[in-house]
Amino acid sequence: MNLVSVAIQNTRRNLFRSILTVVGVAIAMLAFLLLRTVLSAWLVGVQHAATDRLATRHKVTFVMPLPKRYVDTVRQVPGVQAVTWMTFFGGKVPGKEEQLGSVAVDAPTFLRVYDELVLPEPQREHFLRDRRGAIVGVALARQFGWKVGDRITLAGTTFAGEWEFSVDGIYTVKRRSVDELSMFFHWSYLNDSLPTQLREQVGWISSKVASAREAPIVAKRIDDGFESRETQTLSMSERAVNNSFMGMASTLLDAIQIVSLVILVIMLLILGNTIAMGVRERTQEYAVLRAIGFLPRHVVIFVLGEATALASAGGLLAVALGVPFINSGVARYLEENMAGFFPFFRLAARDMLLALVLSGVLAVLAALLPALRASKLQVTDALRKLG
Amino acid sequence: MIPLRYNVRSLAVRKATTAATALGIGLVVFVLSTSQMLADGIQHTLGSAGEPGRAIVLRKGADNELVSSVDAKLVNVIMAAGGVRRDERGPRAVAELLTIIALSRRNSATALSNVAVRGISDRVLDFRSEAKLVAGRAPRIGADEAMIGKRLRGQYRGLQIGQSFVLKKNLSVRVVGVFEAGGSVHESEIWCDAQLVQSAFGREGLLSSVTVELQAPSAFAGFRSAIERERSYGLSVERESTYYEKQSEGTATLVRFLGGAVVVFFSIGASIGATITMYAAVAQRRREVGTLRALGFSRAAILSSFLIESLLLALFGGAVGAACSLAMGQLELTMVNFSTLSEMTFAFHASASMLVVALAVGILMGLAGGLLPAVRAARVSPIEAMREA
Repeated sequence: MNLVSVAIQNTRRNLFRSILTVVGVAIAMLAFLLLRTVLSAWLVGVQHAATDRLATRHKVTFVMPLPKRYVDTVRQVPGVQAVTWMTFFGGKVPGKEEQLGSVAVDAPTFLRVYDELVLPEPQREHFLRDRRGAIVGVALARQFGWKVGDRITLAGTTFAGEWEFSVDGIYTVKRRSVDELSMFFHWSYLNDSLPTQLREQVGWISSKVASAREAPIVAKRIDDGFESRETQTLSMSERAVNNSFMGMASTLLDAIQIVSLVILVIMLLILGNTIAMGVRERTQEYAVLRAIGFLPRHVVIFVLGEATALASAGGLLAVALGVPFINSGVARYLEENMAGFFPFFRLAARDMLLALVLSGVLAVLAALLPALRASKLQVTDALRKLG
Repeated sequence: MIPLRYNVRSLAVRKATTAATALGIGLVVFVLSTSQMLADGIQHTLGSAGEPGRAIVLRKGADNELVSSVDAKLVNVIMAAGGVRRDERGPRAVAELLTIIALSRRNSATALSNVAVRGISDRVLDFRSEAKLVAGRAPRIGADEAMIGKRLRGQYRGLQIGQSFVLKKNLSVRVVGVFEAGGSVHESEIWCDAQLVQSAFGREGLLSSVTVELQAPSAFAGFRSAIERERSYGLSVERESTYYEKQSEGTATLVRFLGGAVVVFFSIGASIGATITMYAAVAQRRREVGTLRALGFSRAAILSSFLIESLLLALFGGAVGAACSLAMGQLELTMVNFSTLSEMTFAFHASASMLVVALAVGILMGLAGGLLPAVRAARVSPIEAMREA
């Protein structure tokens, strides 16, 4: 029996307190994991957004569209490999408050430029032929119970009226640069249905470039080309676009970061409290150990070992609870209520590892002071307290 | 009844443990109240822009002004409808065009932020009585001039009296005034002539909304049915106060959800912390408790004494947490308004009822954490406890 296993045995001496501590640590860690997942779900749009695709929009305001003929100009720009265009549609499922992430696209070029979309071949062919066809992400289809062949109606938000579509395909993605909560349908269907003065306009133009390194050069070329036209443009890689949107939410993201640090502090307090109490109660024992020849560092090992055992148990419990709690419980809730904010809400392996490592680090931090105090004990003084 | 001084001194003896536990409870109260203050601040900023005595007309199906478009030809029809208050200058109503432009933040060379621009009509200051100039003058109609909300002042490049910003190539607009608007979201907007915005963005003949002042709040139903009845208009009418409340829902819900989730976890954690502390307190003081019982204090007295002690702990922590959250009230935050994707600035909004709730939660945690240990203390047998070493 070595010293560490003795230290672990020590946790059973006040079993109730140990259990409380483990639960406390686990709950704090679970909150930490939840916030980490919120952060990474939020940032997934940035981290995975394409760097080799440029979005060209109205220079001054993203609300206003560009003339459709701009697409031909962009296609001529050296460095642009392929071009497609799209317009955000939005729209609501009748009876629901939340707007959908639906986009009108030029399907043939869209599927070529956005090759991360995976669609069974028959569905793809059907969609390309069907003027009122739409393809929906697998997560969106699950949310509303849509199946291939269903007819759906959306109430327009940006574009007035009732819009009918038939679900021609359900897509998944190979890369997370597109989420599985979107819906794509034919731009020509939208365009033909609009009043004359709103026709032949596109929300933004998306172009594929050879590499991320070329992106800024080509972006500048595109924007320079429109400098003397009636509307100027602003081209950025998709990642840069997402980055600037994230920038606007930075206050909230910072707050989440701060709160997740505060959680760690709370954990430290709970753990430190327990350890300090244990040490205080066992002062005489440590004195006896010292008297029979154990060295100060052995006492430190006792205290640190106990703290680490408690914290690790808490960390493991948090991860074990976190997987079902976050991946099934919270993710389901968010999908139903705030899907637009968090397309990929999953507990990442990296965050689980982080939680376990942090449990260990916090255990050492929490136990350091009590351990040092216990090791510096004056044996005679401590033993005299027995009297 | 055991004197309160006994509890206070007991807490004071173990300073570090007491402070750690109180800090845990304080943090819960702090997080609870700041997240509520944040959500309230968002709702206050957006909500105070709306008056129940006004109605806003948007295109049917449009959730907000940004995606709405109202044909300029309909403006006079709307303003002439029954229920609209009139004065010597005609109907008390404004037709406005809202859009968003990208501006650089003052302290960053590259980061672009979206700022809302409201194309206004000449009687806006008279119509929106909550809006008042605090510096400079109102823009002249027909001139390339603008006034800015006071929260924008100095935050973005060009947004300072005498400076100018670009609305379109070769069209820069000079800032001539700064206005305040009762802390509402309008204070994060740029206001300039609607025709200027229309021509800069090729939206001639289109507006986002028409807002009218009703003869009385009760005139709303009549006005609404007059406008919505005519299907060919394709318009919908809402009370301005309802409209702005809905605008704040998305952002405020998110903040409340995150804040609420964190508070649930925190309060469980802090209750556990309090339980551990109070158990240790009881264990250490078994002899004391035994002595008290031998002196004639009843089990009930012991129970309530330990409960009071954990209550004191919670009150102390809660008060510190609440005080810190009140200090946050001095901060101003800029965050995205998810319904228009433009930036708005708002402050934490403190209210007495919110503080009371937060403190009550703190006290509840103290009681929850203290109950089991207090029961154990009450069950201490005086003879056994005093016989112990």
